[in-house]
Amino acid sequence: MNTDHIRNFCIIAHIDHGKSTLADRLLQKTGTISDRDMVEQVLDSMDLEREKGVTIKASAVRMNYTAQDGGTYELNLIDTPGHVDFNYEVSRALEACEGAVLVVDATQGIEAQTLANLYLALESDLEIIPVINKIDLPSAQPDVVAEEVENLLGIPAEDIPRISAKEGINIDQVLESVVKRVPPPKGNDDAALRALIFDSHYDPYKGVVAYIRVVEGHLRNTDSLRLMATNADVRPVEIGIFAPSMRPVDLLNSGDVGYVATGLKTVSECRVGDTITLTAHQAAEPLPGYLHPKPMVFAGIYPVDGDAYPDLKEALEKLQLNDASLTYQPEKSQALNFGFRCGFLGLFHMEIIQERLEREYDLDIVVTAPSVEYQVFLLDGTQIVIDSPVQLPDEGTISEIREPWMGLDIFSPTEFFGTIMDLANKRRAVFKEQNHPAPSRVHLSFEIPLSELIVDFFDDLKSRTRGYASMDYHFAEYRPGNLVKLEVLVGGEVVDALAAIVHKEDAYHKGQRLVTKLKEIIPRQLFDVAVQASADGRVISRANVKALRKDVLAKCYGGDISRKKKLLEKQKKGKRRMKMVGNVEIPQEAFMAVLRLGDE
Amino acid sequence: MEARIPAYVDALCQEIAWMGASGGKRMAVLTVFFGGGTPTLLSPDQVERILSTCRRNFSLMADAEISMEANPGTVSLESLRRLRTAGVNRLSYGMQSAHPADLRLLERIHDTFDVIRAVTWARQAGFDNLSLDLIFGLPFQSLERWRQTLETALGLHPEHLSLYALTVEHGTPFQAWARRGLVPLPDDDLAADMYDAASERLAQAGYFQYEISNWACERNGKILSCRHNLQYWRNLPYLGLGAGAHGYIAGHRTINVAAIPAYIERCRTMPADDAFPAGPATIQAQPIDRWTEIQETMMTGLRLTAEGVLADAFKARFGISLERVFGGEIDRLIQQGLLEWAGEPRALRLSLRGRLLGNAVFRQFVGSEKPADLGI
Repeated sequence: MNTDHIRNFCIIAHIDHGKSTLADRLLQKTGTISDRDMVEQVLDSMDLEREKGVTIKASAVRMNYTAQDGGTYELNLIDTPGHVDFNYEVSRALEACEGAVLVVDATQGIEAQTLANLYLALESDLEIIPVINKIDLPSAQPDVVAEEVENLLGIPAEDIPRISAKEGINIDQVLESVVKRVPPPKGNDDAALRALIFDSHYDPYKGVVAYIRVVEGHLRNTDSLRLMATNADVRPVEIGIFAPSMRPVDLLNSGDVGYVATGLKTVSECRVGDTITLTAHQAAEPLPGYLHPKPMVFAGIYPVDGDAYPDLKEALEKLQLNDASLTYQPEKSQALNFGFRCGFLGLFHMEIIQERLEREYDLDIVVTAPSVEYQVFLLDGTQIVIDSPVQLPDEGTISEIREPWMGLDIFSPTEFFGTIMDLANKRRAVFKEQNHPAPSRVHLSFEIPLSELIVDFFDDLKSRTRGYASMDYHFAEYRPGNLVKLEVLVGGEVVDALAAIVHKEDAYHKGQRLVTKLKEIIPRQLFDVAVQASADGRVISRANVKALRKDVLAKCYGGDISRKKKLLEKQKKGKRRMKMVGNVEIPQEAFMAVLRLGDE
Repeated sequence: MEARIPAYVDALCQEIAWMGASGGKRMAVLTVFFGGGTPTLLSPDQVERILSTCRRNFSLMADAEISMEANPGTVSLESLRRLRTAGVNRLSYGMQSAHPADLRLLERIHDTFDVIRAVTWARQAGFDNLSLDLIFGLPFQSLERWRQTLETALGLHPEHLSLYALTVEHGTPFQAWARRGLVPLPDDDLAADMYDAASERLAQAGYFQYEISNWACERNGKILSCRHNLQYWRNLPYLGLGAGAHGYIAGHRTINVAAIPAYIERCRTMPADDAFPAGPATIQAQPIDRWTEIQETMMTGLRLTAEGVLADAFKARFGISLERVFGGEIDRLIQQGLLEWAGEPRALRLSLRGRLLGNAVFRQFVGSEKPADLGI
């Protein structure tokens, strides 16, 4: 089988540099989608994606293109998630390609994720085709940006297509470059089948649909297939291609991109990165690089109204059908009652899940302060892993706590150098190096504890740089840290939902802030209530909510009695919704206020 | 407004007559209270007519307490004399404060000189049972200014004092001002200090506290409490007569139509006798079941700081002991230092500390389901 006419490629870009718009234009130009059916940004099918301007789930589409050389080519465009939290998914999608179109915004130049995605693409040995987008904008500086790209990739600036995906300018040049420069897939059609799963989604009728790239061999719709990582055999419901919607075919050959509808019930049975082979004729080795992506960020998710607990559970189950990297397990907090401890690939992933729960499932939820996974080494030589402060054992038994550190890259106009360094400093980051990809731009590299990154770091960065800085991060290693558990006690009782693992140096002011906030929020009780923060077994901050002295109706005469009784009954009802911490009544809203405020 | 008064008095007398005739056997009346507005807008003749209508239709006791609320700025010696002659024997003046700034804030038309004159005239007219209403916890009011108000009031030697903490109620101009930041919200701690200071000073001056907001002198071995209000707090029956009046009679809480023209209109035609307790102007007559009555008895009775809820009286009224019904609540509140058992005969009452935390106590006795196993 000849694969010379096949080109498998993806588009990579920093957020908002125009990846999805370019994809739309390619679909239109190749006649894959008629102008009439064109919905803006076809590949981003979730509302949230369109709104946030990023791609959360990868997608794939086959286009037929007749090139200037007269040949007709099968172009498989594989869309990749646009965010670093989905690095692993990105890397699998890249593995399914031979080339990558690197889109750079002519008004902004190279940004953090441009570079992060580029490195991933280079790791996968992809042919890189840079294009400079948005040349129609008045502030475009295509020559400056082209030079930036030349410096980075060694591709002559004059060879870089300058396009406007929005206006449809020079789209032909992109298609021609793909045909000319992306190599056709190699692979032996006669070898044992090896197909890479680079994405999947759940379909209520067809079960989990695995998006595959046939690397070697071929498969028919009648073949029994084996998933090599899980060793599960499936008989496909159908196999097919994306044209751009799912179209069944009988055969997928080596080099093809398509799908297998597995009939499986959850995406966790059909993991991205796994290799599909034939049950009857198995490949000796799976394709390299399979990983089980591990959550990095953890938080409790609780329904505001306890009655919504079953709804929350159902929503998480449904989300997990499509998102194997989301983990959750039941958790009970004394302050917030029943909820779930959820694990996410990163902050952005967490934000997306939170928004989908609120928007698609219409749930009112509280998300507790995010935590990372700590390695705790005990004096008795054992090691445990914890993702919640509640799980931290007694201080006396601990010899060392290690926390995850990340490599952090920040791209920014040079004028913000000082404020970025200041932010990094405050967040315990260690400066590594600086580069100047362009005269007015700086690329700063740091190492930083993940725990510092997950609490509003990006928001802070954006506000300090008026939105001009971009950032990207990746896991570096676990390092020992001078960490303590910060606990908050109300009336002498520990409030579990407010505990945190913090750096010793920050314990004091974080504790003080929590205490101050709680003092404002806790209503006065019939007795004095001590609010304390403690770390390392010592009280580091305290405040006193003074006892309530006056709560009485001044007047209560004949006409008032029924009305006053109703008033008292209403107050009593309100009291029932209070959470008891020891004998202190705290309105649930108070916890929520503290948790929602986070660390401003 | 004034033009409607004669028709209003006619309507009121109609209502009184109907109530007297329809309420079964001739009702004995121990107290009459003219309040809820500005009853001194009535001429002494009109008051006289209302009272004689009462006498004709009820057994108005010879020693009945007949109170009238009065605005110190609107009385005259002459009118007071005639009210006294008509049978009014207790006056309650809305003095509120001795400080002009407080009075301006409360939009009162009188000043302290009016109060002094009104008290002097009342004495000259023969009133020997006078009460003054004062308000504390006002915005901008200091503890010192409150003490001055209190001293001024004490200097007038009233038999009775009502001290009310300002309550910012929903829908009042005060609430609107406070929300717009024009006046500070009352500081509860300062109000508590004012209350404590007043309690101490009044005890020293020989006044006896018998209710959360009420103090009275002793005369001939008897506390000069407001007997009419005691009826409310003991959760005993009373008739509500006139526009907007509330009553509690024959096991029903009744409400009269509030608008004066509507009231006058309704009193033109009398209902059948068996409509009682719903009278001609009644817009609502809500039956009070046993359990509600028990809860309301606790809520109102515990306001009586000395008397409290008498254990024997409760048992006699409801056929079950206080402890059987509310044992758990009582124990908890005693433990919290808000309630105490006192006296002979034994009574449950607010502790000294509980007086300003009454709501925390009352809440425990309302809003719960009727215990199934007590046969109430």
